[in-house]
Formats: sequence, structure tokens, C-alpha cells
Amino acid sequence: MRRLLALVPLAMLAACGRSDGRTEIVIQRFFGACQAEFGTLSDPGKADGECGIITAMINQFEAANPDIRVVENTVFWPGYDQLTAQLAANGAPDLVTMHSSAIPDYDARGLLEPLDDALAAVGISPDQFTAAARAGVTAEGRTMGLPIDVWAPLWHVNMNLFREAGLVADGKPVLPTSPEEFYAQAAQFKERTGKPYLVQVTSKDFAGPMRVFYAWMMQQGAPPFKDERHSNFDSPEGRRALEFMKELYERGLSARNLDYAGAVSTFLKGEGGILVDGTWMVGQFDAAAGDAASPLYRGYAVRPFPFLFHGRRVSLVDGHNWVMPRNDRRTEAEREAAQRFLAYFAANDFQWARTGHFPAYRSIIESEQWQQLPHREDIALITEIGEPLPRFVRRQSPIEFIVGEEAAAAYTGAKPIERALIDMQRRADEILQSF
Amino acid sequence: MSTLAANRPPRIAVALVVIAAIVMLTPMLWVLILSFKDNTALMADTSSAFLPPWTLANFRSIVGEGQVFTWLMNSVIVSLAMTAGVLLLSSLAGYGFARLQFPGRKVLFVIVLLGLAIPEQAVIIGRHQMFSAAELHNTHAALVLPGLSMPFGVFLMTQYFRAIPKELDEAAMLDGASRLRIFWRILLPLSIPAQATLGIFTFFHAWNDYWWPLISATDKDMLTLTVGIAATQMNFAQAEGLGFLMAQAVFAGLPTLLVYLVFQKYIVRAVAGAAGQ
Amino acid sequence: MTADHPPTRRSPTSHRWSGILFVAPYLATFVFMLVVPLIVGIRLSMTRGDLFGIKEFVGLDNFARLFGDPVFLQTVWNTFYFVLLTVPAMTLIGLALALVLNHQTRWAAILRAIFFASTVLSVTVVTLIWRLVLIPEGGLAAVIAGAIGREPVAFLSEQALAMPAVAVTTIWWGIGLPMVLFLAALQQVPRDLYEAAALDNASRTRMLFSITLPSIRRTMVLVIIVGIILQFQLFGQPHLMTGGGPNNSTRPVVLFIYETGWKQWQLGYAAAASQVLFAMIAIAAMAQYYFSSRKDAA
Repeated sequence: MRRLLALVPLAMLAACGRSDGRTEIVIQRFFGACQAEFGTLSDPGKADGECGIITAMINQFEAANPDIRVVENTVFWPGYDQLTAQLAANGAPDLVTMHSSAIPDYDARGLLEPLDDALAAVGISPDQFTAAARAGVTAEGRTMGLPIDVWAPLWHVNMNLFREAGLVADGKPVLPTSPEEFYAQAAQFKERTGKPYLVQVTSKDFAGPMRVFYAWMMQQGAPPFKDERHSNFDSPEGRRALEFMKELYERGLSARNLDYAGAVSTFLKGEGGILVDGTWMVGQFDAAAGDAASPLYRGYAVRPFPFLFHGRRVSLVDGHNWVMPRNDRRTEAEREAAQRFLAYFAANDFQWARTGHFPAYRSIIESEQWQQLPHREDIALITEIGEPLPRFVRRQSPIEFIVGEEAAAAYTGAKPIERALIDMQRRADEILQSF
Repeated sequence: MSTLAANRPPRIAVALVVIAAIVMLTPMLWVLILSFKDNTALMADTSSAFLPPWTLANFRSIVGEGQVFTWLMNSVIVSLAMTAGVLLLSSLAGYGFARLQFPGRKVLFVIVLLGLAIPEQAVIIGRHQMFSAAELHNTHAALVLPGLSMPFGVFLMTQYFRAIPKELDEAAMLDGASRLRIFWRILLPLSIPAQATLGIFTFFHAWNDYWWPLISATDKDMLTLTVGIAATQMNFAQAEGLGFLMAQAVFAGLPTLLVYLVFQKYIVRAVAGAAGQ
Repeated sequence: MTADHPPTRRSPTSHRWSGILFVAPYLATFVFMLVVPLIVGIRLSMTRGDLFGIKEFVGLDNFARLFGDPVFLQTVWNTFYFVLLTVPAMTLIGLALALVLNHQTRWAAILRAIFFASTVLSVTVVTLIWRLVLIPEGGLAAVIAGAIGREPVAFLSEQALAMPAVAVTTIWWGIGLPMVLFLAALQQVPRDLYEAAALDNASRTRMLFSITLPSIRRTMVLVIIVGIILQFQLFGQPHLMTGGGPNNSTRPVVLFIYETGWKQWQLGYAAAASQVLFAMIAIAAMAQYYFSSRKDAA
């Protein structure tokens, strides 16, 4: 017993990390963990996928800055539960990835540090950003983060199956321009290939259904949010959106019962025509299209969501950014080290853009190098028509889950549409009015 | 054991139990076999797990990665520390309640018993606020301290000490021994069975704890094995691959299973004994 | 202490207070880790605030809101439903296993070990295992279905099947505990009762119902109460397997508390829900105890 007791303080001492005199910064991010595959890579050019590229980028930064020690904290998406808990405990990381749609929330409570000076110190000015990226990080005239990218939901197309279904013209996928065309083309697809036209998320990972719902609402010209205290879901446009989603589900035109991992895997196995996902997969699917063993071999195309409602040509966009949460214990040296990381990232944003996300810098978007990347041409339209959620929408993250959950319940038939819209709006408004 | 020669269970009952045992084992074996397959093969079709080739690549990745080991160390430290702490505090308090007179003894003991009725959910938010205010999150201390308060330990030790004959104490007192000595030298060694029970119970409780470590330890390096495995689960679509994920599950489940297999008799006796109290 | 005891060499007052020294360390943690947080929680439940600071005192508003909140009420129902799915099944299966495996033979020992092994795993390992069994995309159930030419069932996405699937996972996980408790109780039943019955040519069934079951009655009550208390606290399995869906069908009260507090930042509301859960557990356990002791007395 005595011996055991003696071990305890020793063990606890051992647990206190060893510091080696370098400045240490904590960088927290989502995008997945892939230490096994990319843990030691320092050349982002050789990595692919969000996880691989960002891991390699952080490694490269560390290699080039031996006086800085980077603690890379990977959190599961979107990581806001942890960040909030860390902020409440005054133990927030030095830099963290944050969606543009989430910045207003944290900024309204003064939980983020403005970065105007920090960026200026390393030669970064907001007019270097694209309009969408800049809008994403600006709050009341201050720059609250360094944009990493702008992203949008997309339709990823399996061209091999589309060819089989007779939906290819001039080497391009034929996509619907109205709900009626949608049903017709999807039915044709299903008849000729035996597989579901649409592969989308219907369970557990509710961000997917949320984006689809917002997209159809926005295309009808209806904003998802009326003002900062009221959502607009229980409206004719919201109803139309859910009715459309439900109709196609009932007709068997969509794959069923898939969570995010299942949806991606189904598409990769060639078991569906269109995967409803986003810019972050473009790099990965393009790689599969070059792999002779993959069902996507030489058969991958990608497009923005088709414009079905003869309303607005618009696409929902959001963005990833590095923000610096408030932490009273942050030292000048740490702030400076974080600054250097931001400078490095800005200089290497092209590597990140290889994922498929839109770069945050005008110079890259306008460059040939970017435009030559596969498929960028087909989705470049989004840089003009992309529209983020209005800045006044706070608590976007929990609302996202509610909208996705209710939308999925409605269109899979688990709940009547009327009921789902009422609940969706009520629950969202409760949150919007709770602070 | 009360077994009658004639009391063999009916064959059908045995058959059903054997089938049930197979059902119990199958999920674990499934995960085990998945962990020996290459990630891309599994991505295409998981039933390929039943056929060769099999590989140790996933386990090699775990060894190379290092993160799981940090989580394992955290779990070990926290579980051992909590076990040692609970054993010490509960034994001391148990002795105090069982053997010593002091003002308010009865009332205090009843209050401790009432504590048994309080579920974790009623106090977890309060605890989180307090540790936030003290800026103590993401420390081993935060993971250990709440567990030290469980009334079950005191209850168990008090009952056990009460059952030990007072004559032992009194004999020692006549020889001039102090209370502390009596406790340390005589009663504590005699209470080893109860200590084992309580220790094992606390160890597994600490090792498998999920909610509190989830909200208190948010730094990747501070995660316990239990929470770390949950974090990877959420991510697996993105990057790691099914085989690697399964290898992590095997890696996480193995220590507890091994401890269980080695200490089986004591564990079962502990659980039964605890309930008996 | 009365004057009957032989005099000790220590004065009565010094050993009066040394007692406090022994219980003080534990009492300190009891107060700081149990009593104070409980009070903080109760106070929080009467405020409207978030993780970053309390906003305003609203009295019993949160509780009124809870009882009018369809999402919360659904979670209460889900929790009761889950307890109904798991506790009777675990009790009966645990009892059956104990009855069959109450032997000293090698095979019985091995089988017992198998049934208890899953209990030592953590919830995250268990949910990982069972997701890989239940998911329609490559899960074990889907592979088996494919092998026999049937369509895979999406257990975790079908509203009617999701909670039962979580229940099955939980039963698999926890069956060892009731089994072990019953085994311990069975071993306390005096042999002579059985021997006397055997002399009377009593059938096995008769012995089971007239001797065994009545003798382990107290353990049965214990198993049920412990089961109720444990399963009311359901959290990890739905958090990791279903996220509370589909359509709020697998969200228990504890997951509601977690989401309301840490995702929606409505800490006061979450604290109120946790007090309601506390009351639910206490009432359920006491009710069970009351009913069983009434039967005892009858």
C-alpha cells in the first residue's frame, strides 16, 4: 500500500510535460487525423486531402522554424464544443480553425482577438483576399481571422455511370434545370444503371441535409434567416424545398440510410450517380479518377448545385479561417510565433487550394496555376455567385444540427413536413432568442 | 458451491447458453479480424476481411503514431491515481466512522450515505464551472479529483471495519498504540479483500469514464484512451481508414481485457461482494 | 462511548477529535466535489446563462420551459422506453445465465468469463464494435444479410429500430453484471433446501420456483434497482452511435443535457434538465424499492 502511494506523486510528476525552451504554440484544427499516413511528411506538394495537406503544411512550418514548437491539436468536426469549453477555462489554443459562419458568434462575445495589426506586421493586407474570403473574416471593420479558403457544397458526378445512363453530352454531364427534369433524368439514370441517382447523407451527420435545404431555399430567393432573432424556415419556400427533397426520396431516387462516411464510401465504390458533398473532396475524387482500380477512373466531374427553381443563381458558401481566441496567458513570443504561422500559411495557400476549396487570395484565383488545376473551371462560377449566411446569424453551429436533423426527418418520411418546419423554426428561434 | 449431482441443467438450456456465448464473442472477433486488413481493401468491401491477405500494418501504424500511447498513459495515470486516492481516503474515513467517536459522527455518516443517491449528471455541470473558474481543466488533477468523492468507497470500508472485532483494537491500545498505528498496522492489512473490491471497482470506473473526461480534457495530449477512441471514431470518414480504426479499438480494449483475464476471480468476487454490501 | 468499556490510556477528549482527522480528508472531497457542485447546479438551474457567465435569475422558468419543450419530453419518454427495453431483459437473461452456469466445471467457468468480458470494455470501444456490426455499409449484420441474399437493414437510421439497436448493444455490454450478482446469490442458497426437496421428488421446475427464486429475491430487487439507475444515465451509446436521431428517437435526457449545455450554450436550461433527471432516478429507484418491500411484507 505504501509503495503504491509513493508511485502516485512520481507518476504525476512524470505526467507534467517537459518543456525545451522553445516558444510553444497550440494550433487546433479539425479536418481529421491522419498521423499514420502523413505524420512525417513535410512537403505539402506530396500530400492530398484536407488532412494530409494540412498535416504536411504544419510539419513544413515547424521544420522551417526550429525555434517554434507546434502542438497540433486535432478535434472532431466542428470542434466548437471543445473550443467553448477551453475558452470558459481560459485555456484556448493560439490558433484554431473556425468557419466564417461561426465567427460572428464568438466575436460578439469578444472571444476572438482582432488580427489587423498581426497581419499587417507580416505584410498581409485584407485587399489581398477575395471578396468572399474578406467578408467572411470581417466584423465591424476589423479583421478577425486569416482566411484559409472559401468552400461550397457541390454535386460530384460519376461520369462512368452517367454515360451508361445516357446523361452525357459533349463530354459534359447533363444536369437538370428544373424539378421535373430532375425527376425525369434521375428516373432514367436509375432505370439504366440500377443505382440511385443521388447519394446524400440522411442520418447522424446532419450538416449535409442542412446545406441542401438552405441551397434550395436560397435558390427560390428566400433567405433562411429573416433577422437576427428569427429564422425563415416555416415559409412557402422552406416547404417547397422539403417537398422536393421528400419526393425524390420517396421515388427511390436517393440512396438511403447513409451517414457521411457511408455516403462517401458509396460514391467511391461507384454505387451512385451524384454525391452531394463539397469542395473539400475535389482533390481526393480527382485522385481516384486517376486510379485505374477505382470505379471513378476517368469518370469524375463536379458542378455547383444545379439551379432548379428559376429563382436566383446562387450558391451557399462558407469558409475556413484561422482565428486567435482570447487567452490572458498568451505571451508576446507566442503571439509572434502564431503570426509567423499565419504568414507561412498565407504564402502557401495554393497548397491548401489543391484540396478543392477555393483559395482565399485574389492572386491565386487569378493565377494560371490555380485555373489549371483539374475541375476548377467547372466550379469557378461559385466565386461570383457564392453567398454566405448573413453576418447577423449567431449560434449557427447548433442551429445547423437542428435544421439538418429536422430536414432529414422530414424528407425521409419520419415526420410530416409541416411538423418538421414548425419544430425547426421554433427550435432555431429559441436559440436565436436565448442570448 | 451448492451443486447437486442431479442438478445438471437441461441440455437445451446449455445449448442456448453456448449459442449466446457465440453471439457475445462474434462482434469482438469481427473487429479483431477487421484490424488485420488493409484499409483500402476494407473500403471496397468489408467481407474481404474473411479472406487473406491479412496484415500487421495497422498495428505498426499505431506503434509509429504515438498518440494512442499518450492516451494510454493518461488512462493509466488517472486510473491508478484515482484508485490509490479512493483507497486511502475511504479507508481513513471508514476507520473514523467505524471505530472512532466524534461529534456529529452519526449525522455525517448519514449524509455520506445520502450522497450515494446523487447521480453524476446532477453535479457535473457544477463541477465543470468550478474547475473552469479555477482554470484547472486539462490536468490530471481534474480527471482524478471528482472520482475521489464517491460515497460508495466510504460505505464499503465502514461496513467492513465494523465487522472486524473490536478486541483487536483494544488489545493494541493496551499496548499503547496510537489510533493511527492501529489503523495502519492492524485494520488496514485485515481489510485487503475490501480494498481489492474497492480498488478494482474504482479502477474500471476511472478507466471507462466518458462524460467528465470528454468535457474536461479537451487537449489532444490530455485525452484518456476512452475519449481518444471516441474522437477518432468521429473522424473516420475523413482520413484514417477502417482497418486502422479497428486496430485502435483492439489496442484500447486489450488492456482492460487482459487485466480482466488475469484478475478474473478477484473482479467477479469484488463485484459480487460489493453488491452484497 | 459508555463507561462500560475498560479504561484506555488515552484521554476521552483527544480521541474524540482524532476521529475527525480521519474522516476530514474524505469529507473535504465530498463537500467540494459533491455538495458544492450540487448547489452550484441547483443555482444554475434557476438562471439563464451560458458557459461564460450567468446572465439573470429566472426562478423556476427553466423548469416550466422544460415541461413545455417537446424535444425534452421526447427525451424523457426515450429514456423510459430504453429502461423498459434493457432492464427486464438484462435481469431475466442474467438470471437464466446464472442458473445454467452455476457449476464448478471448466466449461461453465469459461462461459462465465465470456459473458463478463464485455463489461470491462469502455463505452467507446463497445460503440465502435457495434457500429461495425450494425451499419448497412459493410457492417457484420450487412455482410451476413448479403451472404444469405437479404437486404441489409439500417438499424441505426430506422426510427423504429434505432433505440432497440442501442438497447441490444447495451445488453451485450452489461449482461455480465446481473449474471455475476445472481451467481453470488445462488451460491448462498442453502443446499439442504434442495436436498429436502429432492427427497420429496420435487421436479426441477418446482425447485426453481419454490426454492431458488424466493431465496434470491433480495438480489433480484438489487439487480433491478441498480439496472434502473444505470440505464437512466444512458449517454455514450447514442452520442456515438446515432447522435440522438433519427428524428430525436434515441436521444436520452443525458444527451439532451450535454447538447443544451455544451452545444447550445444554454447552461441554466441544461442544469435544470439535470435536476429533473436526478428526481426521475430517485423516484424510480424508490418506487421500485417500495413495491418490492411491500411484496416482501405481504
